[in-house]
Amino acid sequence: MEIVIPGDMILDKPIHMENTFIEDNKTYAAVLGIFDKEKKVLIPLEGLWYPKHGELVVGIIIEERLNSYVVDLNAPYKGILVAKYVRDKLSVGDIIEATVKELDETKTVVLMRERKLYGGKIIDVKPSKVPRIIGRNNTMIKQLTEGTKSTIIVGMNGRIWIKGGDVALTTKAILRIQEEAHTSGLTDRIREMLEKSKKAE
Amino acid sequence: MQSVNSIKSTYIKELLNNGVRSGRGFFEYRNISVVRDIIPNAEGSAQVDLGSTKVLVGVKLDIDEPMPDKPNEGNIITSAELLPLASADFDIGPPSPEAIELARVVDRGIRAANVIDTGSLFIEEGKVWSVFIDIYIMNYDGNLFDASTLASVAALTNTRMPKYEDGNVIREGKLGKLKVNNIVTSCTYAKVGKSIMLDPDGDEESVMDARLTIANDETYIRAMQKGLSGSFKEHEVNELIETSFEKSKDLRAIINKLNSD
Amino acid sequence: MSSQEKPKLIVDGKRLDGRGFDELRPIKIEAGVLKNADGSAYLEWGKNKIFAAVYGPREALPKHTADPEKAVIKCRYSMAPFSSLEEHGRSGPNRRAIEISKVTKEVFENVIMSENFPGTEINIFIEVVQSDGGTRAAGITAAAVALATSGIPMRDLPYAVSAGKIGDHIVIDLNKIEDNYSDADVPIAVSPRTGDILLLQMDGSLTKDEFKEVIAKVKKAGQIISKVQRDALKAPYERISNKYK
Repeated sequence: MEIVIPGDMILDKPIHMENTFIEDNKTYAAVLGIFDKEKKVLIPLEGLWYPKHGELVVGIIIEERLNSYVVDLNAPYKGILVAKYVRDKLSVGDIIEATVKELDETKTVVLMRERKLYGGKIIDVKPSKVPRIIGRNNTMIKQLTEGTKSTIIVGMNGRIWIKGGDVALTTKAILRIQEEAHTSGLTDRIREMLEKSKKAE
Repeated sequence: MQSVNSIKSTYIKELLNNGVRSGRGFFEYRNISVVRDIIPNAEGSAQVDLGSTKVLVGVKLDIDEPMPDKPNEGNIITSAELLPLASADFDIGPPSPEAIELARVVDRGIRAANVIDTGSLFIEEGKVWSVFIDIYIMNYDGNLFDASTLASVAALTNTRMPKYEDGNVIREGKLGKLKVNNIVTSCTYAKVGKSIMLDPDGDEESVMDARLTIANDETYIRAMQKGLSGSFKEHEVNELIETSFEKSKDLRAIINKLNSD
Repeated sequence: MSSQEKPKLIVDGKRLDGRGFDELRPIKIEAGVLKNADGSAYLEWGKNKIFAAVYGPREALPKHTADPEKAVIKCRYSMAPFSSLEEHGRSGPNRRAIEISKVTKEVFENVIMSENFPGTEINIFIEVVQSDGGTRAAGITAAAVALATSGIPMRDLPYAVSAGKIGDHIVIDLNKIEDNYSDADVPIAVSPRTGDILLLQMDGSLTKDEFKEVIAKVKKAGQIISKVQRDALKAPYERISNKYK
């Protein structure tokens, strides 16, 4: 596992990949990450979220405007919900899950298909760790849900909503996944952690 | 407008209303670590980590004029900076009312408890030492008052006294220590709805209605400050005073351990 | 200092602190030390102690400072009033600090891929809590690590160091007393991948050839500084990986 830093050359030819840049027909890392030579992808260890159409996000309504709602996504750009397409009446402070429709000219994240989430707790993690929290074929998130009995909604923007079940355990497990995301055997260690906690009850 | 932090923390309000504080008891401090002499260039210094709150205090002494009403005593000048790097909510610019309140409350506790022997700061007519206590907040996660008081007092307990010879300030070589008469510590409480808790973290402070800081030594209450627009009942204040005398024993023990190590 | 006499900075072929002419002071960097910041680093360089933190990209405020084409880079270099061995300093940035903030910002404007984040601002904070010469170079070196931990994309990881001339000798990494009494003081920041010079200031007197020697020595020292930065970035991950090998 080779960790690369910004400016490290990762390929001798120009290939377009997220979190990299091309100069003089060579590809370079733009962020701290691990380069997967086979899959030709740079896995960021620290990374920002680049919104893509169809992604699920979790946000907080922070402003009500004449025709829209402004949504805080814990990201460089805010989200926006067009009022006339909104299902329920929303107010400032509401937590929602929604889907990314597109980015407008000012890079505001236009959202659609929102659903209000009631109660629950929000934690923010690094967006680059979200894939590990979900796991390949959803293995990790399934394990978490079964082990804690919590309802967990993971936004691709790194914002996670947790309700019911053992919220404290769910939080602890997610933060641990974030810290150990780059190691192997993590799924097993998390399973052990959840089982140990069950026994302790 | 409700801030994102307070919205994220509304779940805490529910827990607290049901008598649950996640992770600790209502009158339990987070992990505290105190390290002195972290800035050797300063005459005295200390870093306190209280949970994730990180505070650095530097103490410097300079020659100054005494205050007209106290010609034989030195000066104590306490400042605090809520550095913008400590939180997304701290802005650059001159000290905010929050920073000024923090500095003045810490100062009040130190002054009222006579931590520093200001008479020993007298040099000659018209010349005294001024003790500059600078509180630098490096990471904010609640309860800056207790962390800052602890760091300031820890720094003062191992501060070098510069020498004044032939018109020069000598800061190096064999130097004596600043004379410390007393130890003061503070206990800060947050009120959220009807629940009161010691040592609020950042999430708890984002939903608190009122705050009370009580500075005391072994015998006396030395300073108090109630903050924010909520209120306390008289019996609540009396109970918190009792709690402070109890809890401050642990804080004083931390300082005393530094001195004996 | 009471006397105006210039102290001897080189005694018996060695510098006052025992270093050789090309020798750096010890540098230690720890990444990710401040929890709230989007990226952070703590650096010790000789007696210098510096915290660097990054916030952003986030909405540029006030709105009139926003650039519709790219992220605006803002930088605040500041020294704590207790940071010097001498008297208590003033609070708040002075003119020197403002200039340093500007030239530091210009280093990072060169490498940050700011076109990815129009309309936003990226804030870089450098807080010097203890100073002993070369703080602007140390601050830049720390800020680069802080930026890398924030995930903000960059084309390179810059380093910086100050070089100087003492008598006839070109010398690397001036501490405070050398900085005060040297015959030339040259802080330089370099983009190691390209060798491009991102910050260059100079004060004193140097010949053309002496300047060439300065650059050569800076780039040689830069290999060591870059390695310290790289190791600091990898360390947290390697520490955890090793735990679960």
